[in-house]
Amino acid sequence: MAELKTFQGGIHPPYNKELASGKAIKPAPIPSEVVIHLQQHVGAPCEPLVKEGDRVEVGQKIGEAQAFVSAPVHASVSGVVKAITEVPNFTGAKVRSVVITPDATQPEFQKKPGKDLESLTAEEIREIAKEAGLVGMGGAAFPTHVKITPPSDKPIDTVIINACECEPFLTCDHRLLLERTDDLIAGARLLKTAVGASRVIIGVEANKMDAVDALRSRASSYRDVEVEVLEVKYPEGAEKMLIFALTGRKVPPGKLPSEVGCLVQNVGTAVALYEAAAWGKPLYERVVTVTGPGVREPANLLARVGTPVSVLLEACGGLVGNPVKLIMGGPMTGWTQPDAKTPVVKGTSGVVVLTSEMVDLGEESECVRCGKCVEVCPMFLSPNFIVQSTKRGQWDRAEMWGALDCFECGCCSYQCPAYIPHVQYVRKAKAEIAARKKK
Amino acid sequence: MALDNLVITPPPHLRSKEQTAVAMRDVLIALAPITIAALVAFTYNALFNIAVCVGSAMFFELVARKVRKKKVTLSDGSAAVTGLLLALLLPPKIHWLNMIIASFVAVVIVKELMGGLGRNIFNPALFGFVFILIGSGFLASWTGHLGFLPGGFDGVQAATPVAYIKHGLEGAPSYAALLFANYGGAISEVGCFWILLGGAYLIYRKVINWVIPVTILATVFILAYILGSDGLYQILAGGVMLGAFFMATDWVTSPMYRWGQAVFGLIIGICIVLIRLYGGPSGAVAYSILIGNAFVPLLDRAFKPRKFGEVVAA
Ligand code: SF4
Ligand code: SF4
Repeated sequence: MAELKTFQGGIHPPYNKELASGKAIKPAPIPSEVVIHLQQHVGAPCEPLVKEGDRVEVGQKIGEAQAFVSAPVHASVSGVVKAITEVPNFTGAKVRSVVITPDATQPEFQKKPGKDLESLTAEEIREIAKEAGLVGMGGAAFPTHVKITPPSDKPIDTVIINACECEPFLTCDHRLLLERTDDLIAGARLLKTAVGASRVIIGVEANKMDAVDALRSRASSYRDVEVEVLEVKYPEGAEKMLIFALTGRKVPPGKLPSEVGCLVQNVGTAVALYEAAAWGKPLYERVVTVTGPGVREPANLLARVGTPVSVLLEACGGLVGNPVKLIMGGPMTGWTQPDAKTPVVKGTSGVVVLTSEMVDLGEESECVRCGKCVEVCPMFLSPNFIVQSTKRGQWDRAEMWGALDCFECGCCSYQCPAYIPHVQYVRKAKAEIAARKKK
Repeated sequence: MALDNLVITPPPHLRSKEQTAVAMRDVLIALAPITIAALVAFTYNALFNIAVCVGSAMFFELVARKVRKKKVTLSDGSAAVTGLLLALLLPPKIHWLNMIIASFVAVVIVKELMGGLGRNIFNPALFGFVFILIGSGFLASWTGHLGFLPGGFDGVQAATPVAYIKHGLEGAPSYAALLFANYGGAISEVGCFWILLGGAYLIYRKVINWVIPVTILATVFILAYILGSDGLYQILAGGVMLGAFFMATDWVTSPMYRWGQAVFGLIIGICIVLIRLYGGPSGAVAYSILIGNAFVPLLDRAFKPRKFGEVVAA
C-alpha cells in the first residue's frame, strides 16, 4: 500500500467508530421544550428578535447578529416563545437563550424554489451563508461568512473539505458523506466560488473507504474536485495538520489558513451551505452522533438545535452500565456535562457517554520528563515546559514554549504517563498572556 | 437516568495506558535477565546486596516523603529501580554500610531534597555510587584500609576487565566471555548480553528510544579505535552497556529532544573513553553519565524544536 498522506506527531487513540458508523441518519424526536442560545458561536452574541409569548415558525430568525463576527440564530421548531432567559451552555457559561414550547405537530420543511447554483456570485453565497446562520460545524463554530471572506491580499486557491472526522467515536460526518454525497460536493463547490479558489480537495481518513468510493464515483464528473485518503491518526482533521498533509503547505504560527491560500471547512458546514443555497433552509438542525459504551443503541440523529441531551439519549434507548462522563463533542476535545439538560448547539457533533471501564481518572503527578508529550505534539511544542512555566507563573516562558500555538488537541495529555492535564494549564496560560498583552 | 456518577474534567477524556508506574515496572522487568545472571553468579552475595539496596532505597523514600509530608510515592516504583541499579553497580563483596550510605545519598539527597522524582538533575543511583566510590578511596588514603569499613571495594574493582583497557589487553577476558560470562567487577558484569536483552525490551515497550544508547555505544566504539584502543572490547567491558541502556536513558536526567539526546550520548561516550584511557578506570561510566546529566538543562534549551510552520529568521 502506498504511504498515506499525513502529518508528523499525533496519536492513535481507540476509535470505536463501529458503534455508530453503520447507523443511518434518522430524525430525533421533537422535545417538549427547546432552548436556543443566542450565542452559539465564536464572536458577538445575538440580540433577540422575539419576546415572551410570541409565535414563531420553524426557520424564523429569532436572534440577529450585531457584529460582523457573529451569526444569526433561527427557531428550530414552530411554537410559542416561553421565555428569554439565561441558561448554562455546554461549557457551563451562562448565555441568554430563547426557550420555545413546540406545537404538537411540526410542519414539514418546505423547500424554497431552487436557485441556479452555478450562477451564484461569491457575494451572494456569502450573504446566503450569513442569513442562514452558518457556522463551522466541527465544533469550533466560527461564523462561516467571515471565514469565506478572504483578506483581499491573500488569494485562496484551494478549498479543503475536512472529512477526516479524526475524533474517536463520532460518525456524523461519515454518515453525511455516505448519505448526502452529491449535496456535499455541491456545497463544497459553492465554497470554492465564494473564495475564488480553483480546486476542492476532500480529505477522508482511511477508515472510511466506503465514503471514499462514494465520493470518488460522484466527484468524477467534476474536474475541480479531488478526493484524497489520509492516514488514520489524531488530529488529522486539525486545520494546520490537514492543510500540510494534503498540500505540503505549512501555516506559520499565529496565522490563518488563508496565509497559504487555503480554506478549510467541515463536512456538515458544506452540506448546510448547500441546503441554504438550494432550499433556502437556515441552520436549525444538525446530525449528532449519540454514542459510547454507555449508550444502549448508538445512533446518528438529526436533532433540532436546542434539543436537550436527555431527549437524544432516550431516543437511543437510554443508558447502560455505569456512565462516568457525559461529553458534548468528541472524547478528545469535548466538554463533560454535569447533567443531561444541556441543549444541542450548531457546533454539537456528538454526545458521547463513557462508562467507568473507559475512564481512567488517574491522579496528576510530577512530570518525569519522559518526552512523550513532545513526541506527539503535532505543533512541535513543549507541553511539559508550558505546564512548568504556568505552574511557576512565568508567562513569558509559557509563551516561548508555545502556549499560544497550542490548539488544545489533547495529544500530550493522552500520552502523558504522569496524568498531567496540559490543556487545562495551557488555557490558563493563554488567558494570562492575553490579559497581560491588553495592559 | 442513572447520571449520579458524572465527573467534570478537562479534555481529553481518553488516555493511553501509559503510566509512570507501568514504565518503572517495565524497567524492573528489563533488569530481570541481568539480575538473574548476577544471582546465579554470586548467589548469596548478590541476593544480600540487592535486598539491602532495594530495601534501604524504599525505606529512605518512605521516610523522606513522610517527613516532608508529601504523598508516599513508593508505588511508582522509582525507588525500587534506584535501589536495584545501585546494587548492580556494586561489587559482590562490599560492606553493607557502604550500600546504606549510597542509598541514602541517592534517595534522600539527590532525589527527595531536589523535590522528588522529576526534579533531580543527577541520576540518583549513579550519584550514590560515585559518592561511596570517591568517599572510600579518599578514606582509604588515610585510614590505611579500603573503604569506610573493612571489605571496601576498591580492591575488587582493581581486578576488573576495565583495568586491562589502560594497561593493554594481555590476558583480558575474550569478547565471548564479556558477552556471556562472569568475569569479575560489579555484580552486573556477568555478561552484557543480558543487558542488551533488557535494553531491547525497553525500546520495544517504548520506555526509551534508541538515540541515547546508540550514540553512546557508537561514540565509545569509534573514539576508542581512533585513540588506538579496542573499541569492541570497550563497549563490552565494564558498565558501558548498563549505563547506556539503563542509566543515561533515565527520563528525568536525560534531554527531552532527539538532537539534544544525540549530543548527550556523544558527550557521555567521549568522557567514557577519555577517562578510561587517561584517568582511573573505576567508575568511568558513572562519572561520564553524571557529567552528561549536568549538561541536560543546556541541551534542552539549545535543541528546542522549531514550532510547526515556524521559519528561521533570515
Ligand atoms: S501542546 Fe497543545 S497542540 Fe501540542 S499536543 Fe498538547 S494540546 Fe496538542
Ligand atoms: S508526557 Fe508528561 S511526564 Fe512526560 S515529559 Fe510530558 S508532561 Fe512530563
